Formats: sequence, structure tokens, C-alpha cells
Amino acid sequence: MESVLSVLYQFGTNAAFLLLSAIGLIVILGMMNIINLAHGELMMIGAYVASFLYHSGVPFAACVVASFLALALAGVVLERLLIRRFYGRELQALVVTWGVSLILAQGMLLLFGPFLASIPIPFGSGAVGAFSFSWYWIALIAISLLLVAGLWFLYYRTAFGLRARATMQEREMARALGVRTGRVYMLTFALGSGLAGLAGALMAPTTTIAPYMGQQYVAPAFITVVTGGSANVIAGALGSTGFLSLAETPFTIWFGTFIGIVAMLLASLVLIRLLPKGLSEWIQRRWLS
Amino acid sequence: MDTAPLAELAQPIPKAQGFFMFKRLKVEDYLVATLWIAVAVYGSVISDYSASTAAFYILNVPMALGLAMLWGIAGVLSFGQVAFFGLAGYTYGIIAGNIVSNLALASVAGVVGGLAAALVLALVFGYFLFYGRVEAWIVPIVTLVMTLILATFMGQTAGYEWKVGQVLLGGYNGMTNIPPMHVWGVDLFGRPLFYYVLAVVVVAWLLTVVCLRSSFGDVLVALREDSLRTELFGHDVRLMQLLCFSVAAILAGVSGVLYVQWGNYITPDSMGLLQATLPVVWVAVGGRTSLLGVVISTLALNVLSFQLSSSGNQYAFVILGALLVVAMVVPTFGWSQRVAAVFGRRG
Repeated sequence: MESVLSVLYQFGTNAAFLLLSAIGLIVILGMMNIINLAHGELMMIGAYVASFLYHSGVPFAACVVASFLALALAGVVLERLLIRRFYGRELQALVVTWGVSLILAQGMLLLFGPFLASIPIPFGSGAVGAFSFSWYWIALIAISLLLVAGLWFLYYRTAFGLRARATMQEREMARALGVRTGRVYMLTFALGSGLAGLAGALMAPTTTIAPYMGQQYVAPAFITVVTGGSANVIAGALGSTGFLSLAETPFTIWFGTFIGIVAMLLASLVLIRLLPKGLSEWIQRRWLS
Repeated sequence: MDTAPLAELAQPIPKAQGFFMFKRLKVEDYLVATLWIAVAVYGSVISDYSASTAAFYILNVPMALGLAMLWGIAGVLSFGQVAFFGLAGYTYGIIAGNIVSNLALASVAGVVGGLAAALVLALVFGYFLFYGRVEAWIVPIVTLVMTLILATFMGQTAGYEWKVGQVLLGGYNGMTNIPPMHVWGVDLFGRPLFYYVLAVVVVAWLLTVVCLRSSFGDVLVALREDSLRTELFGHDVRLMQLLCFSVAAILAGVSGVLYVQWGNYITPDSMGLLQATLPVVWVAVGGRTSLLGVVISTLALNVLSFQLSSSGNQYAFVILGALLVVAMVVPTFGWSQRVAAVFGRRG
């Protein structure tokens, strides 16, 4: 019983970690086929915002919301200044966002020094028999599911979602029908950046807050988007995090975190050899159409 | 009815022209050759110590040329060139460090082994990427993840259980005491090392020129512009991309081997996220498609980062990041093409 719970818990935390790290990337990729390599740095800034606010007495939940809003605003600035010049030129966009990530990480180091005050983990821990767990990670699992549900609502039940999906499907036609695609791109980029900030703030209590903390999310988040592909945001997010945590969890339990990540990389390599457009395209073709 | 067009269509498609039909050199190739002569002359007038530093400036050129070929010419972007660099360096260290009885054999076996390791890694990853026909953005992401994982792996190899033969892998502190290049009974240091590095760099450059100024180079350009159309002309696009990726990996491996022969140590940081940026910056600033531009920008930026880092300047990566953004945003960044145009019509 306890060992089953423990494996389930491990699986859930792995999946939640992947989902939170990658959700902002997946949203942006699905819409404009652009990978934002500064994603990890946006998460880092989210954690910085949360830490500053938390230590000036703001409750943690409010810090998380503030991080989302702050980074969404930063996303608008980034999109207007740089990203909009690179629609349709995905490789150049990758390189530009990489340049941005260097400036942000090293700039933060120069501005605020190598460390920032950390945030204590809320909620404490619980136990079932010999199996102990952290309530905060249970909360993170719940929050990531809520995030996916929220995105589903946004994409399938709102006017913005309809326009966004139309733009994704056929940009020129959507524009001809009166959708302001430039604005859709801007808002999507803001949403993706905001989600990065939110994820950074949520992860902040579980890690050290430092200028280069974004790097630890790079490998898992990118493996997740590569596996998921760009066809469908919701299917990509759920499918690839589920698949990758299935591949990762046994190796993490038996051999440790590093081998778990290697297993994820190998699993995703084999997967894209079989399904080059990613899991989301396959799920959509198989079950959603 | 006129059946001639159908009859013509029914003819077997003529086999794509000879794989290595060599074309004319371009003006920029003569300019780069002149540059190498100037560098060789420069190496003879500076002090022994400066020659050693100068060797460091030029040893990264093969890696940059490989990426220029891969990204600028073939349109396949890789963020993982430093993985091949690091793997070749570590492999050289392991092999050369274990053959103590014959130093000359140790260097040669190390070089061959290092390049072979880079080639094998490139073939394995390239197979999955190119034969899966993945979308263009997946290649840089997967190669970046490959690099980070390799760096993480090497970082946790501290302690005596990570010993290959007599060589310690060394974890984050890196592998030390890697044997230098040994020929004709002497270890190469200072000025001889400089000329050895220069000779290898020139050979690597010639290899790139031969690849690009041949029908193979034309196919690479064609598949960058329109890969479906290239495929319909009878070229195996997947194989061409894999070949180009492998050549670029070997060139990165050449830089890696030269680096450990020059510095006699290597750390996992040489495959880290920051290092992975450098080749991309060199090539982007050089204008991507021009070998002249890439060679000049690689030399200039290596001098710049060496000066910045040896003076302890923390702005190095901010500057490099800004350069990357500017090189991508400013649309007419083909400065090197214009330089070549001054010297004559491009061939």
C-alpha cells in the first residue's frame, strides 16, 4: 500500500514538475511555432518577484498571482520589441531568445548578486504509514491539473480561444475573417510568459533562488515540448507529461534523478522517430477528430 | 498527338551529378587563405608565450566553420556543437592518458578516438532527428538537451570510482594532466604548438571549402531553401542532412582535441549552457553563410572574450547575448559578403 502510494506520489510530482516547467512554452509553441529559449529565465524572474514580495510581507498566494501578472507584462514588452519580427522564422527566433536569456541571467547576477532569500515550503508534510509526503507538492499537482483545465476553458469556451484556435489553424483565413492575428500572438506570448512566471513563483519554495536557476528547467521543459509537439496545446501538455513521467519515474526510483532525465531524453528520441510531429498530433488524429 | 513530353518524362531521372564535382572557389576563399598566411607570419614575430595564446584564439575556428556549414548553408541549427567538442576532448584525454609507453602513438590514437567518438554521437542523434524528419526547431532543442545531459553526467564523475584505466574523469573539477600533442619525440608547446594548431585549422577549413564548393554544397543550399523540391530532384535529403551534421560534429571534435592538447585539461563547463552559446554567437555575428565572416568573427570574439575573462569582467555574457540579439535583428548583417564584394565579383 505504502509503496504503491509512494510510486504514485513520485509519478505525480514528476508530472507536475514537467507540466509546470513546460506549460508556458507549450502555449507559445502551439500558437506561433516559436520556442522561447528565455523561458527558464522568465521562470527565474518569476521566482525573484515572488521572493521580493514574500519578504516584504505579501502572502505567498498573492506573490504567485503578482508573478504571473508581472511576467505577462514583460512578455508583452518582449513580444513587441523582438519576437514579432521573427514570426515564420523559427530558427532565428530561437537564437534571439537565447541572446535574451543570456542578458537576463547574467544581468540578474550583476544586479542582485548570486543568491536571493529563499521562500519556506508552505503546508508542512503528511504521512500514511511509512510513506511521507509534502502537502505542497500535492498542492502543486492539483494546481497543474487546474491550470490545464483553465487552459481548456480558455481555448474552447471563450471568444479569445476561438480566435486563437482559428489563428493556429489557418492564419491568413483567420485574418481575412477579421481576427487581429497580431494581437492574438501578443496575448498568447503574454500568457506563455505569465505562465512561466507563475511556474517560477510556484517552484520557488522548492529550490534555491539564483540567477542561473532557470537552467535546471531547461532540459526537462524542452524534452516535454519536443515530445508533445505543437498540434494541440492541451493534448500535448497532458500527453507528453504523462508519457515522460511514466518513462522517468521507475528510473528515478531505481537509479536517481540524473538517470531519470536521461531516460526521458531517450524515450523522447524514440518517440519523435516514430511520431515526428509529437504526441499531440497523434492524440488529435486518433481521438479528437 | 504529340507524345514527346510523355516519352521524355518516362526517361529515368538522370542520376544527380557526381557527388563531389568541384566548383570554382569564391573570392572569399582567397581572402581567407590570405588571412591564414597573415596569421602564420604574425605567429613568427610574436613571443613564444603570445604564440600559445594565439593558438587558443584560432583553435575554435573548425567548430565555428562546422556550425556555419550546418546552420548557414544547410539551414539545420544545432546548439549542441560543444557536446562534440567536449566528448572529443574527454575521449582524447582517456585514450592518450592510458597509452604511456608510446607518446607519439598516444597522441595519434587519442586524436582518432576523439574524432570517432564525436562522429558516433552525431550519427546516433542525427539518425533519430533526420530520419524521423522532425520539424526544424526540434534539432536545436534536442542537441541542446544532449549537451546539458552530457555536461551533467561529466559533472558527477568525481571520485576514484570514475576511473578509466589510469585516468580520472574528475567531476566538476575536470580532467587534468591531459598529454599534449607529441610528434618526432617532442611535446608541442608555445610556437610549435601554434603552428601545429594553425596547420590543423587550415586543413579543417580546406575540408569545409571542399564540401561547400562542390555539388554537395549546392545540395545543402537547395535543401535549406526547399527541402521537398530537393527531394523530388532525386536527392536523399535525410542522408545529406546526416552527412552535414556528421562533418560539423567532426569539425567540433577537432576543436575539442586541439583545446585539450593546448590547455591539458577539460571541465564539464566546456559543455555547459554558456559555452554552448559561443559557437552560435560566432556564426551569427559572422553572417552565417560566409566562411570569411565566420572566421573573422570567431577570431575577433575569441580575442574579446579572452581579454574580458582574463580581466575578470562579468559583462562578457551580457555583451555576447546583446551581440546575438543585434546580429539577428539587424536584417542586413551580411557585412562579410560586402567585404568580399569589394575585392571582386563573387564567384
